[in-house]
Amino acid sequence: MPADQHGDPFENRLSAALRQAGGTFDSPRTGLSTAGAARGRRMQLQRRATIAGSTAALALAGVGGALIVPWDGSPAPRPSAVAATGGSAKPAYSADDMVRTLQKLLPEGKFSRTAARGTGEELPPLVAGVFDDGKGEGSVSVGLGRIPADGGGINPSAAVMPCPDGDQTGLDSCRTELLSDGSAITVYQGYEYPDRREDTKAWGADLVTPAGHHVSVLEWNAAAEKGKPVSRPEPPLTTAQLKKLATAAQWRRIIDAVPEKKRTPAPATPQGEADVQFQRMLSVLRITLPKKLKIVSSGGQGGFVHVVVDDGKGRSYLQVNLQLNMSDAAGQLYGSDAETLPDGTRVATSQGPGEKGGEGVVMWTADTMRGDGRRVVISAFNADSQSTAATRPEPPLTIAQLREIALSPHWDVLGG
Amino acid sequence: MRQAARADEYAEFAAARTGHLYRSACLLTAGDTHLAEDLVQETLGRLYLRWGRVSRVDNPAGYAQTVLTRTFLAHQRRRSSRERAVETFPDVADGGGTDTPLRLTLIQALGRLPAKDRAVVVLRYWEDRSIEETAGAMNSSSAAVRTRCSRALGRLRELLGEDIGTYARP
Repeated sequence: MPADQHGDPFENRLSAALRQAGGTFDSPRTGLSTAGAARGRRMQLQRRATIAGSTAALALAGVGGALIVPWDGSPAPRPSAVAATGGSAKPAYSADDMVRTLQKLLPEGKFSRTAARGTGEELPPLVAGVFDDGKGEGSVSVGLGRIPADGGGINPSAAVMPCPDGDQTGLDSCRTELLSDGSAITVYQGYEYPDRREDTKAWGADLVTPAGHHVSVLEWNAAAEKGKPVSRPEPPLTTAQLKKLATAAQWRRIIDAVPEKKRTPAPATPQGEADVQFQRMLSVLRITLPKKLKIVSSGGQGGFVHVVVDDGKGRSYLQVNLQLNMSDAAGQLYGSDAETLPDGTRVATSQGPGEKGGEGVVMWTADTMRGDGRRVVISAFNADSQSTAATRPEPPLTIAQLREIALSPHWDVLGG
Repeated sequence: MRQAARADEYAEFAAARTGHLYRSACLLTAGDTHLAEDLVQETLGRLYLRWGRVSRVDNPAGYAQTVLTRTFLAHQRRRSSRERAVETFPDVADGGGTDTPLRLTLIQALGRLPAKDRAVVVLRYWEDRSIEETAGAMNSSSAAVRTRCSRALGRLRELLGEDIGTYARP
């Protein structure tokens, strides 16, 4: 009997007690094994459907930066699925249509280095590119989405991005107004880096209509939101132009063409979907890590990814966890000493000993939560695993770098 | 035809193992029988998806237990990235079982362990897995499992007392 291998009498007693207690849980309800097989068949179908949509999403994660929220992390039905169910055919808009639409709505100038998603993708439509009106390049992006009605009507004032309260908002300006059609729009002028270590300005407009259309426009006075030098004193569009762009009727027509998510209970993450999510997270980590860090191995599943990196001074373990809809836990997770950024994002950082017994191991963490409950936590260690001895005095990333990675908008385009 | 045979084989395996998986899940979830059912469904679903491969491994029952453990740990990670012992106990749904003093006390004690420590206890002392096998099932190192195991035993000793047999049915 294997339990006899335990040297400690307490272990033997525990084993016997577990067997006795475990045995008192009566057989599960009839049909549990059949329900398991049914879930397996569902997973099989979803796996086939989701893998098809992953390539485009990965490509966009590399160029993205749109602060928009995917529907709810669940893959939207693809157009073919809509057609197959005999629903009314909706016009589909391709990625090129998105680019052309933005091009037409922008003032005179050159719009280049574009990347986009149309209405047939797994993630919501998005267009991004570099706009130059002759006075310098600026990055511009438009993200489209739909606010779920949740049974009742939509209150645009409550759903639109709120302006932060108080004097120290970190924004130069922010104003929410109600439009004559019942829509609410917030137009703001802020900075890419809340600590203003660089002068990159990030301006935007956030619009919600009574029908639930959500349009988010962002622009920067640099050719990219991060990592490019400032190319002009201010972003290319004025606040009035931002407002005009966000309220353009074209965007609403495109949002209307996105297939509605079917109202069925969300299935638990199937394995195939979890693998896709892991690949996407790894892709974002590759983009956001400093170039000097080489990824030598990786693993994880679902919303969890871990890598071992090497900068030539000792291998180190990093892990990232992405969670959605965590708003209800914010109070517990972020104490009074946590920082709140102008957009409502909470940030807590910590430096302490590792938790898994490796000798001399330290764990540095940046724990962040966006206003919509999207939580990104990254931890770095000074060892190549959490349970082996330290390979170097400190992790290869500073707290500031961890914070920056966790706050990267690249995580915002990923589902759950 | 081969597909039909494979489906029959899977159905037979699922029917035979569901009860044990469910009882393991009840221990892993510290008595949350609703969550336990969901974890078992998810586990069986994953096995269905990979049945071609699973049916060829040496010990499909052990493999199923590993999938259950990983499904449970993934569920815990989704809930929070920080380990925290549960402060309040789930409503232990009456699965028709008898709430013996032993079961109540043991389940409450398990509920006070962090999820990963609980998984180690279930694998080591309910499933009788070795340290190495437990480490393999949890995607962890043997050293980490040893640490967790000794921490969990210490805590259970505190909570249950040295002589667990006191609670056992006569």
